[in-house]
Amino acid sequence: MSLRVLVLGADGFIGAHLIGALAASDWATPTAAGRRPRAASAGDPIARLQFDATDQDALEHALQGSDAVVNCISGSGQTIAASARALLAAAARQSRPPRVVHMSSMAVYGAASGLASESAPLDGTDAYALAKIAAESDCSRYSEAVVLRPGIVYGPRSRQWTERVGRWLVQRRVGDLGAAGDGCCNLVYVDDVVSAIFQCLRLPGIAGQAFNLAMAEPPTWNDYFIAFARQIDAVPLARIGRRRLKLETKVLAPPLKIAEILLAKARLHWITLPEPIPPSLLRLWRQDMRLDVTRAEQLLQLRWTSLADGLAQSARWFRQRGR
Amino acid sequence: MILDANNLPENHALRASVCIVGAGAAGISMALQFIGSGIEVLLLESGAFEEEPDTQALYAGAVADQRLHSPPDRYRQRRFGGTTTIWGGRCMPFDPIDFEARDYVPHSGWPFTRDVLLPYYPAANRLCEAGDFSYTAAESFRDGGRPMIAGFDSAVFSSDTLERFSCPTDFGARYGERLRAAPNISVVLHANVSAIRLQPAGDRVASLEVRTLGGRRLAAQAGHYVLAIGGLEVARLLLASRDVQADGIGNQHDLVGRYYMCHLAGTIGALRILKPASSVHHGYEISAEGIYCRRRLALRPQTQRSQRLGNFVARLHHPRITDPAHRSSVLSLLYLAKPFIPYEYSKRLHGDEHGTLASWLLHLGNVVTGPFEALAFAWHMLRDRKLAERKFPSIIVTSRANLYSIDFHAEQQPQASSRVLLDSARDALGMPRLRIDWRYTAGDVDTVQRAIALLAAEFARTGVGVLDYDAATVEAEMTRYGAYGGHHIGTARMGSDARSSVVDSDCRVHGVDNLFVAGSATFPTSSQANPTLTVVALALRLAAHLSRVVRTQAAATAAATPAPPIAPPAGAPLAGALAAGATP
Repeated sequence: MSLRVLVLGADGFIGAHLIGALAASDWATPTAAGRRPRAASAGDPIARLQFDATDQDALEHALQGSDAVVNCISGSGQTIAASARALLAAAARQSRPPRVVHMSSMAVYGAASGLASESAPLDGTDAYALAKIAAESDCSRYSEAVVLRPGIVYGPRSRQWTERVGRWLVQRRVGDLGAAGDGCCNLVYVDDVVSAIFQCLRLPGIAGQAFNLAMAEPPTWNDYFIAFARQIDAVPLARIGRRRLKLETKVLAPPLKIAEILLAKARLHWITLPEPIPPSLLRLWRQDMRLDVTRAEQLLQLRWTSLADGLAQSARWFRQRGR
Repeated sequence: MILDANNLPENHALRASVCIVGAGAAGISMALQFIGSGIEVLLLESGAFEEEPDTQALYAGAVADQRLHSPPDRYRQRRFGGTTTIWGGRCMPFDPIDFEARDYVPHSGWPFTRDVLLPYYPAANRLCEAGDFSYTAAESFRDGGRPMIAGFDSAVFSSDTLERFSCPTDFGARYGERLRAAPNISVVLHANVSAIRLQPAGDRVASLEVRTLGGRRLAAQAGHYVLAIGGLEVARLLLASRDVQADGIGNQHDLVGRYYMCHLAGTIGALRILKPASSVHHGYEISAEGIYCRRRLALRPQTQRSQRLGNFVARLHHPRITDPAHRSSVLSLLYLAKPFIPYEYSKRLHGDEHGTLASWLLHLGNVVTGPFEALAFAWHMLRDRKLAERKFPSIIVTSRANLYSIDFHAEQQPQASSRVLLDSARDALGMPRLRIDWRYTAGDVDTVQRAIALLAAEFARTGVGVLDYDAATVEAEMTRYGAYGGHHIGTARMGSDARSSVVDSDCRVHGVDNLFVAGSATFPTSSQANPTLTVVALALRLAAHLSRVVRTQAAATAAATPAPPIAPPAGAPLAGALAAGATP
């Protein structure tokens, strides 16, 4: 019998990949749930629901026809925390509590350094990390929850780590960052995240566990930039000095962000500005924390897509998208 | 963590498993390899983050002939990062032939082939920030890159090998934070090692005497000691440490400080290219990783063997700057900018010639008559060199007249009479200062003379140009600026026989179990290549060796010793004991 899987945040990067993979499987029937209305396309076999995922009543209703649910909701910290709380409360009220796979993040480890296993303290302090930690805390009170903490999820349709980075490389705004790019880039290819979710949906005996997800021997950010730049032909790679990075993140980023928000509010979408490089990325690019993925390899039996293969797929998509 | 010896208690004993002396290219590269290994490493550095005149003055010494060698406190820096704080960044590996015993190069031959070092070169390249370890144009550029001189196809000289340029990377600035953050690495600044203390039997180091210029005395005790203090200081410290071995450590056969080599370099001749100006590309190309790369004319190994010559490379160069007859506004601008160019660079740009008012006016005239060219060059140097983190490596002036000179860089043969030794003068710590007696041989002159003659013949044979030079001036030109600055090679040469070498193939001082030397002091021969990349590769190899040794010894100790009750770690726990002295 096919497993009925409700995917929250189905229109997002990971959600969309997951829906496609579930639909292609012979053991699951996905239902896509999203906040925004989406025009039904002829022949689309995927059932779609539209509701606000912070609405517990709506969730309870949606869960009634589901054996499992995957929470891929992103957005503001408030949305992440509220939707997780509502989901877990709604799930707990089901007669047969469904398996909940919750997409958390390596952000929960905060500014940790060295090898971070799943038992490392959850020390994140920014709004995003605090929301993820709060959501995990709610998960810990639900018996059928499994938490995934992916690192840097990249691949086709990744707006943050493929499209944005590719654009910055083409614009020579990132490149070889010297010491500022020495941090560990805990990349995980999106298909590997989908494989991890599959395992979490199907394997018994893993409820209550958290799993780090990242390739086993991750590159540095500098290595990622050069490898991706080569794939999308954004070479020669520029050396970005400390002064330039400071200018980008401290001087240019704040007004660009404000302008971006104002333009969005004014619906002036035809005006395009350079995307700001936030100071938080500077910290991330330097952070020497490597996710320990032993548990995911052993219990979920994951094998990681090589960087070369992942980048080749990503670059193909990036080029087709026309940069 | 990074500590300051001035903040440590008098007579404090610093303890670690491995003690590395000197935080330059070799020392920092080695220390980085131990991060996260669980092996406690102590990295002692005489200086601090900036140049300090009192510390730098510890390098001062004498030279036998000031025309042949720069003063010993020039071209080296006694500070965190070492001489990488001022280096030019030229990287290239040694060639396979450099490791061979060649009967026409006396005392040549390394105790291993290049294959042994090859696994460490890519990582060394990375530490030097020189991109991929690929040193031919065909490998480095998708389209093979532009030829240096179209139509120059020679069985005597290759023109497809590259030199790659580091930023140039200041190892202290680049990797200091990593060392500071590593819990098992302790860097101690202002820690001058003034003597190596051997155990009474003379076969092991017992401790290092560490002193500060403020008068504090400390000791460093470790299982293994590495001297990574540059080719000149290695000899000085070994020779000055004579309380057990009367002639100095490792000097039973009077070898320490001998076989001192630099490189033979100079600029000569007028090369008139007979092809269109566009057929010459003597400057840089940028690889995909963003690295400045430059082709050289390299004497092929089979020619070296058949002609019995040392290793040799040449590049196309601009005419001599000091002669205003070149009529180049750019070169004259450089001449006039001499006061603003650091000594280490201005020496080879300008020589020691004292210009006259007339020549100064002629240079000024060149600038005035070509102001736009000079301005464009000044802007290029400001943007791509002064303000850039990856700096444009050198002055490239394209000659509209198709006229160039030949800039050469050649291997120097090892000979025992070329040496550094202790002087009677002493430094502020009471250590004997160095006296440098650098010499070259007739064989060195022969290599340069005949290699240039071969190059001229190949230009003529291929029809690409005419090299006009005076063969009688070759020796004068190769010594015009003396020994090539900053390349201090061979003073603790490596070999398998203790009667003809100071260290073995693991860079361990013969007869002293736990004392190692990292750096160009150990090179038995000098190659044509600048030494830094090979210094780093050899340091990485030594770090791997020491890591194996420490782990093997730890495993043997654990196997032989019954598990004790909870015991304190051996020695003072550095982090706890010295927290007060730690820099944030």
